[in-house]
Amino acid sequence: MSWSELYLGPGTWILAVLAGAGLGMDSVSWPQVMVSRPIVSATIGGWLFGNPAAGMLVGLVLEIYALQHPPFGAAKYPDTGPAGLVAGAAYAASGGQAVGALLVSLVIGWGLGWVGTVTIYVRRRLNERIMSPDADLAADPGLLEQRHRIAIWLDALRGGVLVAAFLVPSVLAVTLAVGTGPSALGRNAFIALALGLAASAGAAARSSAFGVRGWPLILVGAGLGLLLVLGGLT
Amino acid sequence: MKPLRSDHVAAWSRTFAVQASWNYRTLVGAGIAYAMLPLLRRIYAGDPVQLRESVERSMRPFNGHPYLCAMAVAALGRLEQEEADPETVEKFRNAVRGPLGTVGDRAVWGQWRPICVLISMFAFLMGAGPGWSVALFLVLYNGGHFAVRTWAYAVGWEAGLGVGRLLKGGWLERWAGRMWPVNMMLTGTVALLVVDALVRVAGASLESEALIGVGAVVALAAFRFPRQGGRVAAVLLVVAPVLWVLGALVG
Repeated sequence: MSWSELYLGPGTWILAVLAGAGLGMDSVSWPQVMVSRPIVSATIGGWLFGNPAAGMLVGLVLEIYALQHPPFGAAKYPDTGPAGLVAGAAYAASGGQAVGALLVSLVIGWGLGWVGTVTIYVRRRLNERIMSPDADLAADPGLLEQRHRIAIWLDALRGGVLVAAFLVPSVLAVTLAVGTGPSALGRNAFIALALGLAASAGAAARSSAFGVRGWPLILVGAGLGLLLVLGGLT
Repeated sequence: MKPLRSDHVAAWSRTFAVQASWNYRTLVGAGIAYAMLPLLRRIYAGDPVQLRESVERSMRPFNGHPYLCAMAVAALGRLEQEEADPETVEKFRNAVRGPLGTVGDRAVWGQWRPICVLISMFAFLMGAGPGWSVALFLVLYNGGHFAVRTWAYAVGWEAGLGVGRLLKGGWLERWAGRMWPVNMMLTGTVALLVVDALVRVAGASLESEALIGVGAVVALAAFRFPRQGGRVAAVLLVVAPVLWVLGALVG
């Protein structure tokens, strides 16, 4: 993969921004069908650059990380729609094969997810202003509907702006990492990532478990996975 | 006036956007009012004063799982139609917001969504194409999503004040209590398969007993201390590319 092979034209950029707008509003505002999950958003990002499988690979890792943050009550969770799209798109745009590019894509996806969380908090504050004063909105239900729809569009705008701002820098950063080859020290990168995934999986399992009982089930599950791998079934 | 079928369809479809105007003052309150409007307009047709008062009541602070908010929208609409006194409506709102949140969080966010995600990931890791895997997730998850939203709305309208009894200890809560072992096992299986897929991208194979052993210990430690486990996972995610790039630079 060289710089001359990389193609990020205005058409692809506009499509990505529009997709980011849709993914941005899905998780909270409308329609909550979960296209904003990393396995979907990163795959869409990969598909925009002609390599959905590369996007999906990024989505798999981001998903394991995201599963440890269910949106229970007032819990903070990463905004994975636009972030997954950018990460999946960046890896696919880089050719979807280089190991260094994959690792950098993952960090971008996870970091941008938390940037998205900050923008969600800003939007909630903005909603306070949009949805007031109560007396005016109650007196004119049409105004209430109009303001509510403005809130939906603002969320779409938020997602679109995130992709518009971060897509090009992310593609460039990931493409820079393409040239980095394997090394003795670099092999430890995968040990770090594998242990990170193990920690994420443990934390994710706890968020779905009712209390601390049942912990051996993670090992049983991992054992089944190992049998599939050793049996050559994957 | 009694709401028509078209009013119910409109109110139900608006529940998909119930959280759009979520804010720290009224939480999902304005969204509940937005979703109830097709019902309220029919119930108070020709009486703008009553309509204004009912919208004002509906906008008060409320919270709940977004899918189960359909139950609150329908039940509150039913109470408005039955001309329940405002004090009863307010007591009802306060009584159901807790169960609507906890039951929905546990069943949908805690079990149904992760299980559907993990099944889709499993399909991809076992050889299904990315398009099929994503389609599997969306169809499976939204089959449950639409069913729960529709059930919640229908039950809310039928039961009115009685929905609280249906939620506590109801089928959804019992189902969530039974599904967590499946969820945990799937998490273990899929996490290991993802590690294997990544190792193969790097051109290696998953045959290191030491790595598997340490991974198991790390996963169990993160299960016991999930907050710290999450932080360690985030640090390792950043450490990985740093090691890779450093290795490339040093040679």
